[in-house]
Amino acid sequence: MTLTSDPTSSSRRGHAGSLGWHLGALAVLAVVLYPVIWVLGGSFKPGNEIVGSLDLLPTDPIVANYTRLTEGIAGIPISTFFINSTVLAVGSVGGVVISCSLAAYAFTRIRFAGRNLLFTLMIGTLLLPYHVLMIPQYVLFQKLELINTMVPLLLGKYLAVDAFFVFLMVQFMRALPRELDEAARLDGCGHFRIYWSIVLPLCRPALITSAIFTFINAWNDFMGPLLYLNEPEKYTVSLGLKMFVDQDAVADYGGMIAMSLVALLPVLAFFLAFQRYLIDGMATSGLKG
Amino acid sequence: MGRTVTHTGHAPPPPRAAARAEPPPGPGRGGAPPSAELRRNSRRENLAGYLFMSPWIAGFLLLTAGPMAASLYFAFTDYNLFDAPQWVGLRNFSDMFADPRWQKSVEVTVKYVVIGTPLKLAAALGVALLLAQSRRGQAFYRAAFYAPSLIGASVSVAVVWRALFTDDAVVDRTQQLFGMDAGGWVGDPDMILYALVALTVWQFGAPMVIFLAGLKQVPRELYEAAEMDGAGPWRRFWNITLPMISPVLFFNVLLETIHSFQIFGSAYILGGQGNPCGPADATLVYTCYLYQQGFENSRMGFASAMAWMLLIAVGLVTAVLFWSQKRWVHYEENAR
Amino acid sequence: MRTTRHVERRTFLKAAGASLATAGLTAAGCGGGSGSSGGPVTIRYAWWGADDRAKKINESIALFEKKHPKIKVKTDFQPYLDFWKKFNTQAAGGNAPDVIQNAVTFLRKYAARNVLLDLNPQVEAGNLSTDNFRAGLEKFAEIDGGLLGLPVGSNSMGYIIDEKVYEKAGVTPEFGWTWDDWYAGLERIKSRTGVAGDSGPHSIMYYYDLKLRQQGKAFFTEDGLGFQESDLEAEWTEAMKRIRSGVYTDAKKAEQIKPKAATAGGLSAGEFTWDNFTVRYAAEGKSSYGIAPIPTTDGKKTGQYLGSLMLSGTARTKHPEEVATFINFMVHDPEVGRIMGYDRGVLSTTEQFEAFEPTDKVSRQISAYETKIAETGVLEPITPHPAGADVVEAAFLRLATEMSLDKASPGEAVDKFFTEAKTAFTANA
Repeated sequence: MTLTSDPTSSSRRGHAGSLGWHLGALAVLAVVLYPVIWVLGGSFKPGNEIVGSLDLLPTDPIVANYTRLTEGIAGIPISTFFINSTVLAVGSVGGVVISCSLAAYAFTRIRFAGRNLLFTLMIGTLLLPYHVLMIPQYVLFQKLELINTMVPLLLGKYLAVDAFFVFLMVQFMRALPRELDEAARLDGCGHFRIYWSIVLPLCRPALITSAIFTFINAWNDFMGPLLYLNEPEKYTVSLGLKMFVDQDAVADYGGMIAMSLVALLPVLAFFLAFQRYLIDGMATSGLKG
Repeated sequence: MGRTVTHTGHAPPPPRAAARAEPPPGPGRGGAPPSAELRRNSRRENLAGYLFMSPWIAGFLLLTAGPMAASLYFAFTDYNLFDAPQWVGLRNFSDMFADPRWQKSVEVTVKYVVIGTPLKLAAALGVALLLAQSRRGQAFYRAAFYAPSLIGASVSVAVVWRALFTDDAVVDRTQQLFGMDAGGWVGDPDMILYALVALTVWQFGAPMVIFLAGLKQVPRELYEAAEMDGAGPWRRFWNITLPMISPVLFFNVLLETIHSFQIFGSAYILGGQGNPCGPADATLVYTCYLYQQGFENSRMGFASAMAWMLLIAVGLVTAVLFWSQKRWVHYEENAR
Repeated sequence: MRTTRHVERRTFLKAAGASLATAGLTAAGCGGGSGSSGGPVTIRYAWWGADDRAKKINESIALFEKKHPKIKVKTDFQPYLDFWKKFNTQAAGGNAPDVIQNAVTFLRKYAARNVLLDLNPQVEAGNLSTDNFRAGLEKFAEIDGGLLGLPVGSNSMGYIIDEKVYEKAGVTPEFGWTWDDWYAGLERIKSRTGVAGDSGPHSIMYYYDLKLRQQGKAFFTEDGLGFQESDLEAEWTEAMKRIRSGVYTDAKKAEQIKPKAATAGGLSAGEFTWDNFTVRYAAEGKSSYGIAPIPTTDGKKTGQYLGSLMLSGTARTKHPEEVATFINFMVHDPEVGRIMGYDRGVLSTTEQFEAFEPTDKVSRQISAYETKIAETGVLEPITPHPAGADVVEAAFLRLATEMSLDKASPGEAVDKFFTEAKTAFTANA
């Protein structure tokens, strides 16, 4: 692990090193992916064989769990859940990237009065468990008559409420060399220009990372949609997944597992589409340019 | 205070001096504007600062501050969510300290944080280092290693995890290969916490991606120069990689610790029907107990007191970590 | 330049705010008009369940809306635990649905908080009928003179058995069998088939309730527990002996196969559960399953009563009349009975009970079982479940499991249980 810690030297090693690298990576991957493959295998097993099953793969694979999804859930086509989740996830990404990067820029590049106090408060918001804030927030949105809309789920994203992302971007911005923006400042650029033309492009890995996490979090969020959405037609995928199993009914584990895998595809696609920006390593090329 | 690594690539860090614990002072104070000019600009700076901060401030005032203040008040009351809160002073806190289940939840949580967090971070950093190299099929590897984290805390995860950790399932068989006869973990109150830790470690994708992004910001010139100086891979890791990604490492350590203290979803689904906090309270993590008291037992005052107790505890840990970063985290911005 | 931009921004914000507000209003169904003057009224109906039940309920509601074109019903549903999580938040926030599916464990809890609507005025006004309920079910949700719900279906505790294992061991359960007969049967099953006789009933509150009722007591009183520490300690000490001898299932094994029931997973020959849960055993297990009678103390009395899922209105509804009309339709309309079947228990009114002819094996079993217990005259009225009963039930299960896993002695587990029960009753009173 430490031997391969250096990103540059790899290209200079021979084929043997490359083969070793791949073997090592695949070995770790086998362990990590075993449960994923189990889920995949499970989705081709009959429903009553899934729980507690010891076999990785089905003896007699069936596709009924997937064809069953085309019937929808509770009379609602599953595409409805996917559209709702997509709106929520994409809307969240936009909000988080903009609002959190603005706050992070202020924390790292602007020396304004009260900065340390606000920073402490921001970290403080990370520390209180969500559950005790749940009811007061619900009452608030209730008074604003925003229940059963996406507003309670999205508003916080546009108001940088998720300190995780503000702090993540702060850490990345602090690691950026200051010479560039100071030079720009001496050239007379204002904060907005520096933020937009220098800091944001240099922070692309952090922005992409935040975008990916936001998308996934919004996609997987259960508690928010559970509390704030009141009609199954407005439900997101994470709520739809829960419609397969209840204590009073015969649990449809087959349908649930199949849907959880289908639900994975958009997230995986989002990750694959954006992760190459992580590879590009804008920081270095930006510096050279 | 921190060491400034110049980006031009001409000044690789001295191989020895850049030891992790006590970095030497930076080579220069960069191009910081003279303080007189700063003062003249201070009003403009304040205005800009608050303009940039305005979404956050609005969000804090509207969505966070009120609910936080409310929960602080509830912590000193008897409150069942329906009737008006009754002031009881410190009684919730004294009840809490005397409550054996609360003590158990503290014990379980501390154990979980202390074992799980380092393992998860180690796994994330290890795989990130592996993947930071440009190799064929990189996109595939990244996605594959990230896949477990995409699944989240859904019921299917509970189903698969329980299936892997029952008697004679794959984990038990592997144990048997090594001559251990522990049986399955999920029904065993002494072992199920480790199954939960394994689940957490397995979902190392988020810190891994953050490490990757951090590694991408390390200027390659540093490595080239160090290599020319004859520094081996181990030394390059300690002297360049680690200091350069230390802000990101700090972030991951801090956030994973905070999140571990607040773990809820995975524990709740893994526990299983009937006893969501595990058999014999074996996975009674703090937030699980808080949730049970606040929502199932209608003791919102007690739950709020628990929440503020957690805030104080995690706040102390956070403060220690922030204090410690002076010793091991290196920022570029200190040239002021 | 600067001012124009400022103005633009403000108009934009205003417009955005306005559109958000209207979106919120219409979507929340708040625009449905106050009072019942003319226009259609929308009521919200929330329940727990899965896909299957959703289809049946949607069909029933379509029928209702056709017959009552001035009332629209919007549904919302989640699995059991999530349902209560959400309902609790909504009720605390003053935004509860107009009608909910309700259960006896939560009845007094929400009655004590004045969350539930008293339906009596609606009965008097003729919007709702309490006639034709089977076995006195209309009184099921009467608390302090208020009518807080009407049952849609009834169910009873039963003893689910793996028929193949019972046959192999040569054990035949009969009405009126005693606890000694039952236990002798379990030992015989264990020695002849190697399968544990029972999954371990000592963690099931409703089992212990039956046993107490057979002795003229009950698990709950109006505001507390109906038994002493020594009663439970004796029960649990004996249970530990039975686990050690293998007659009750090894708790660790039973934990592992959750959410599957131990009997469905082949870990035991039988267990106590609600008769309407039988449907799950047939689907989850590989054997064939039947419902056996509850063992007795004196050869006659089983202590059984009909439990029920019910529909309740909520106190803050703006449309109590429409709520009553809807509940009335759902409990009495024969067509709804045909659609719902035994999904929420054996249909509670005679109109619906007679309208539905079960065709599948499990429904017929349940129907036969409930008919039989009604005929033998063992049914007695339900004893109250005080506010906090849900928490006490959970604690009972958890602490019995803790003991079964050897993490607490019977004495310790009983002590903890009584302490926690006391806290729960105080917190929820």
